[in-house]
Amino acid sequence: MHKPYIINMKEIQTVLVCITTITLLYSCNKKVEAVAPTISNEALTTVSLIVRNTQAPFDIDTATWQQLLDKNGNPLPTDVSKANLILKANTTYHTELLILDKTQTPYFNVSNEIEARANYHLFFYQPLPSTQTFVIPTSPADQLPLPIPSQASTTGPVTSNPLNLTVTITDHDSNPQQYPLGLQTDFATSAASNGWLRILLRHQPNVKNGTFAPGSTDLDVGYTVTIR
Amino acid sequence: MLLYLFNTSVYAQTGSECTFSLQGTILYEDSNLPVEGALVFVEELDRYVLTSADGKFKFEKICQRNYKLHIDMISCGHKDTIIHVPQTGICIILLQPTEKTSEIIIQGNQTSDPSILNSRTELSGQELERIRGATLGEALKTIPGVYALQTGPSIFKPVIHGMHSNRILILNNGVRQEGQQWGSEHAPEIDPFIATKLTIIKGPASIRYGSDAIAGVILVDPAEMPSAKGINGEVNLVGASNNRMGVSSGMMQGALDKKLSGLSWRVQGTYRRAGNAKTPDYYMENTGFQEVNYSTALAYTKTRFGGALYYSQFNTKLGIFTGSQAETVPDIIAAINRPEPITPSYFSYKIDRPYQQVKHDLFKANGYIRFSNTNRLDITFARQQNIRSEYDYLPLTGITTPELYLDLTSHSIDMVYKHAISNTIEGSVGFNGMTQGNIRMYQMLIPNFRNYSGGIFAIEKWTRNKWTVEAGMRYDYKWLRAYMVDNTTAQIITPTFNWQNATGSAGTRYVIKKNLFWVVNVSNAWRAPTVNELLSNGVHQSAVAYEIGNINLRTERSYNASTEINYQSKRLQADMELYNNYINGYIFLKPDLSYIHTARGAYPSYTYTQVNAVFRGADISVGYRVIDSLYFYTKTSLLFAYNKTIHDYLQLVPANRFENTLKYVFKNNGKFKQAYISVTSIYTAKQKRVPANSDYAAPPSGYMLINADIGCSVPMGNQQISISFSVQNIGNIRYRDYMDRFRYFTDEPGRNFTLRMKIPFTLLTQHA
Repeated sequence: MHKPYIINMKEIQTVLVCITTITLLYSCNKKVEAVAPTISNEALTTVSLIVRNTQAPFDIDTATWQQLLDKNGNPLPTDVSKANLILKANTTYHTELLILDKTQTPYFNVSNEIEARANYHLFFYQPLPSTQTFVIPTSPADQLPLPIPSQASTTGPVTSNPLNLTVTITDHDSNPQQYPLGLQTDFATSAASNGWLRILLRHQPNVKNGTFAPGSTDLDVGYTVTIR
Repeated sequence: MLLYLFNTSVYAQTGSECTFSLQGTILYEDSNLPVEGALVFVEELDRYVLTSADGKFKFEKICQRNYKLHIDMISCGHKDTIIHVPQTGICIILLQPTEKTSEIIIQGNQTSDPSILNSRTELSGQELERIRGATLGEALKTIPGVYALQTGPSIFKPVIHGMHSNRILILNNGVRQEGQQWGSEHAPEIDPFIATKLTIIKGPASIRYGSDAIAGVILVDPAEMPSAKGINGEVNLVGASNNRMGVSSGMMQGALDKKLSGLSWRVQGTYRRAGNAKTPDYYMENTGFQEVNYSTALAYTKTRFGGALYYSQFNTKLGIFTGSQAETVPDIIAAINRPEPITPSYFSYKIDRPYQQVKHDLFKANGYIRFSNTNRLDITFARQQNIRSEYDYLPLTGITTPELYLDLTSHSIDMVYKHAISNTIEGSVGFNGMTQGNIRMYQMLIPNFRNYSGGIFAIEKWTRNKWTVEAGMRYDYKWLRAYMVDNTTAQIITPTFNWQNATGSAGTRYVIKKNLFWVVNVSNAWRAPTVNELLSNGVHQSAVAYEIGNINLRTERSYNASTEINYQSKRLQADMELYNNYINGYIFLKPDLSYIHTARGAYPSYTYTQVNAVFRGADISVGYRVIDSLYFYTKTSLLFAYNKTIHDYLQLVPANRFENTLKYVFKNNGKFKQAYISVTSIYTAKQKRVPANSDYAAPPSGYMLINADIGCSVPMGNQQISISFSVQNIGNIRYRDYMDRFRYFTDEPGRNFTLRMKIPFTLLTQHA
């Protein structure tokens, strides 16, 4: 067996005192128990279409798609009860898109910010009948893939007839090529029909070229549309 | 150089004071052959002797006290050790040759660490120098059975036997690294330049290092503190062509003498910077990074007691490849269908949003008391703070705060008592305790939490003749309380959990012949569910997934059996390990095959689910000395993983890998020493074992990479400078890797030239 060293108690004490002191230097903090509020840097909660009949300036209609967030910043079920747009046949409407962030007080107007950063953003409007493949303005190489599940689509009327709506973007960014933006549009209707309208916002920082493909999707919502 | 084993220590004693004798044997560490003509110098006596042909030395008229022995031998490093008189027994000192030209080197040598409970592989010396400049996760890929989980060209997480993140423990200078390691794109916050040795312990190794280590343990160990008076250091420089990376790392250390004998210090720092990486065809936008790390240590080392203070800081800013910004499923599918990212890029060092910024502070204080040459008590206290900020694209609101901010502070204390019960039984008992507090801000991904955990363990090892048997037991308790806001009431709620488990391991080694041994191990380990697995609920933007935690998850339990056979001779060195790791309650993200609609569009939803899984595989490495200077190495990593519950494969498991190297070592010729040239081919097979409908795209094809290295050391003044030059992906081939989360968006980097230089220096030397 090994003969142990003779240990000086003072040495042990010194080591233990050092360790205890260091441990006590770091006492637990209480910040853990105070939960910081959830701040979503970018929450697009509410998207409204405001349509104004070009022939009758007081003929105004709105449709609102909304998805609020819970207290942890996670999306609640989509509210599409007001996402219904009723348009007259053979009419042209000036349309404005209003996007709000209702998680902030007062509500934050996101459309103003998109307008200020028009060179990074591009909206796409996709009038949809029922069963047709989506047709998004796009470069041939980058077709938008299959339709994705959307509550708006399931609540919308199903018909094989096309939705007789043509959307023309009327505002432009400040790029030299003056690419379209899409906060301001003209909706031109023809014969009475039903369908739905899908609106996508593409975020294309430094890569906007007027097509769908570059960048990523910031917003993808839908409305039922009735033309009568 | 290593002093491996005091079989026990020293010396036949006779009567009263100063009548002892001090005698021992010096052996080569690798061959166990005696060292003839080694210089043994005893500091306190100011006397030296040369060892005899059988490696023995002897000093007479020795007093009862401590002696410091310095051992020097041509072609070996300096070795010193402290010996206490009187002790009975035989002193065996092992010297490791610095020029291993006379024997086979397997990349990643088998170590002779006392524990046999797990397979261990070590990277040090020239093998470590060859991978200098790489991140920890990337560097370890050279070891069979170790893979990497990648997020683009700059974020690597180590994967051992198919598992990663919380299932691997990393001990950074003896302290369990605690960051947000659950995140698949959260790489270990460790500067590999602090290490002179990386040890990979494969298989469940919870007994000694704590619960969670279901896959394995990685030890990142710095060099021992200097003991000889003087100041020295080294400078490492690395330059790489592909991303124009520059790395400089410096270290300076010294020891004091006279009244301050025993005091030593070290300062160390690393700067790494890289720009956009380039595939054979295009640059990857925003893939640069910038890293600043430093560490400092102060140690007081005496025979019977000592201690050290250590502080390190790691800072990184990592650009996230902008071509990977797919916010929704259609974005991902569109990206997959493109041959290359839609946006052309160019070279730049600029790091723009999105990026991650991580700061990791580590403070450590440790002390030890030696009761005898075999019995010692080690106490380590550590505090770590990990602050992670993740930035997405600048939001429309113009707010410049990060999207995600997590601040995790961990305090830990470890006590280990190493002891020998008899000449044949030795072991250690100990305690590990830790508490953590997590604070989040901005978006909600994981909640605030506080946890406490503690564990006690005992490991004993019995050695007799050809047999070694080792067994260990451990008990752990863990308590976790989360602080979060209730979804509807907005009140703070505090879900609380606790877990406890006992685990055990046993292993045996049988030396069949002097150079052939066989090891069999059985071990189990457990892991408590992490807070993200229990409570996450929300969009994981970078994974394009809506992830749902499961508050009812139980602990994960691993039952591992492995066997290893190792043969070493002058010409051949071979090691083969087979393992079968069965995991009861393996937690993973299971696709729900449904979508959750958000304003951005639809996200596929995933829920944390428990299944029974098995990971089995083989790690094989063989080195053969074809002729005197030509070596051939081959390494094979085979892995099969199944989900036993649904009888299907598991996702995101690395494919089989085969690596072959031909290395020619030149004879030391004039000024050039340790010169070598080597060519390596690495074949990674296509991962065909994936569950159906679990991924957006089929796994990428297999690929073969050819790399080459050339290196040597040249004298500059009194120092030997090591220089190496390597080329990765010589053929500049296009490939994608299944374990890279950005495989949908981009190819891997193309050809890369790397130049490395190690310049040691000495400012003050000890007077001989």
